[in-house]
Amino acid sequence: MIGTIATHQLVALRRQRVFAALLASFVLVSALAGLLGWSSNHTISRVYDEAAKLMVATGQPPPPNPFLLKPALSLLSNMVVYVPLIGALFAVVLGHLSVVEDEASGLGRLLFSRHITRTQYAMGKVTSAAVALVIALGASMGVSALSLLVVNHALAVSDVARLGLFYALSWLYLMSFVLIGIIAVLVTHRRSLALLSAMGAWLVLTFVVPQFTSGLRPTQSLNPIIEPIGTSQRFFQITAHGQPFSVVEQYKATAAVILNTAPAEATGQLALRLLPVAALAAILLLITLKLVQRHDFSRSASNE
Amino acid sequence: MSDQTVTTRVTGARRARVLAIAKHEYRAAVRSRILLILVVLLILVTAASVYIASAGYAAKLAEYETYRAAAQAQGLDRIAPTPLAALSLLRGPLEYLEIIGAVIAISLGYLSVSRERINRTLPLIRTRPVTAGEQATGTFLGAMGVFATLVATTIAVGIVSIGLLGRDWVNPGELFQIALTAVAALLYLGAFYCLGAIATAKSRFAANGLVIALGIWLLVVLVLPQIGDTMDADNQLPGGLFQALALDHDGELAVLQHFTGYERIRTGIEEASLSKHFERFAFAMSDVKDRYRPYNLPWLLNETRNDIAWLLAYAVAMFVGLRRSFRTQPTIPPGGTP
Repeated sequence: MIGTIATHQLVALRRQRVFAALLASFVLVSALAGLLGWSSNHTISRVYDEAAKLMVATGQPPPPNPFLLKPALSLLSNMVVYVPLIGALFAVVLGHLSVVEDEASGLGRLLFSRHITRTQYAMGKVTSAAVALVIALGASMGVSALSLLVVNHALAVSDVARLGLFYALSWLYLMSFVLIGIIAVLVTHRRSLALLSAMGAWLVLTFVVPQFTSGLRPTQSLNPIIEPIGTSQRFFQITAHGQPFSVVEQYKATAAVILNTAPAEATGQLALRLLPVAALAAILLLITLKLVQRHDFSRSASNE
Repeated sequence: MSDQTVTTRVTGARRARVLAIAKHEYRAAVRSRILLILVVLLILVTAASVYIASAGYAAKLAEYETYRAAAQAQGLDRIAPTPLAALSLLRGPLEYLEIIGAVIAISLGYLSVSRERINRTLPLIRTRPVTAGEQATGTFLGAMGVFATLVATTIAVGIVSIGLLGRDWVNPGELFQIALTAVAALLYLGAFYCLGAIATAKSRFAANGLVIALGIWLLVVLVLPQIGDTMDADNQLPGGLFQALALDHDGELAVLQHFTGYERIRTGIEEASLSKHFERFAFAMSDVKDRYRPYNLPWLLNETRNDIAWLLAYAVAMFVGLRRSFRTQPTIPPGGTP
């Protein structure tokens, strides 16, 4: 039964062109990240050439090669920013649409006249979103691998493995936002209220929590290369305890280690970083399963 | 009755209608729960970010005062001016206005169109002698009233926090600069309000309009400025590319001379984003960037004239678009359910 609901939902997503929009935006975003990575490489080599000429002309030794400082997968550092921004927002909309449409079209009322439990229904919806995300992220991974091949002229097996791990982590992270989108529909009475409160949760997790725990200003959250800031104040000494629970920071840190753009960490440390991301998804899934049991699907469809 | 009296009466009646709609818009917005949640969120983060910035500022200010007292006690004539700028503590609130403020504005635009559709009050309004243009102007003015309240509260919270926590009160000149920033914020939010309303009025299902408007918001507020930032030559490596190459400032300038075309593309991408213009103007007015600090207001206004022009142009264009989409909006939405 879960499979039936999931398949139906996937077909519905395709018909509403939501799936096409999701896929297109993921592919575009990864192409953009690849293009920016290529531009970055190109700029570094040109700046290096100019700097070398300048220094030789002034009789100084040539500068150290900056590519030795730049890891192979750093091309993807923009993806680490785009997933929590664009990916998460799309995940919220995906979760929102998978449940809200049933209310609006009256399908919810019809569905529960059949032999189907609330848990099966919710699991079907979550599975469909999970599959949609796997396809979208798979396409994104393909584009990323292609841009790595074009820019670096080679792609090591270990790098492909790292790429796979990064996208698996991104999938897990985005699933939390799908669930936030679903939960918002289950707890509110209006469509707009559901979408905006889910977006509010996204804003809080992405911009507000990092400001409190690490003093990151909202625009700093947009830059893949973050300058360390002084957080010696008493305020931060207290709030820094919350840092392990700031999922977006843990996601970015783990992704940086996986992509080798940050110093390697012990496996235990990495697992500790991964824990809040996985725990959030698990808790949200439990909440969804609990809320769906007492949600009133017989409500009128005209609530916008 | 002379022609002039008739004209005055007609204008007066039109003004009364526009004001009535503006009041209606303001009241409805204040009653909306979701807007209230977003506004409370904005004010909370404003207070928190100014608090974080002010705590460090008070310590630095106390250090400077100690230095000045010591210098005066030794009878020194030349005392270094303070490197601190109280207004720069408003950076956090301004960035939040730029991001969360724009979401609030889009939501308000969405709500003001979808509300009349759901409640079926749009056909009712159209039975009254109100033109679509008057309705658009009225709702826009009402929304600007909401934004004025919002911006004034945010800035007041910011100024009081700077005064109480940073132990530095802003002077009248600085207050005037903040007022100009507030006007820019109103234009910025007004443009996003129009975006939300236009996208909703144009789409058959109101929620789709909201999603489209949010997609544009994502592009303008988050993606375009981010591209500009990451393309910055110096931003390519942690700690700065020029530092990694052991180049000093002169060397950096000499190398950058070969990158005029590249820099032009980068600036072009940033220019396309409305929020970058707001950010530049607001940061110039509030001394966020060091390079703006030594100059007076006329110089700053001249320096940011490009950004002022873009902000005005966007706001006017979006308002014209709003009037047009209200005129073409079907009174009874097709398909039955809104």
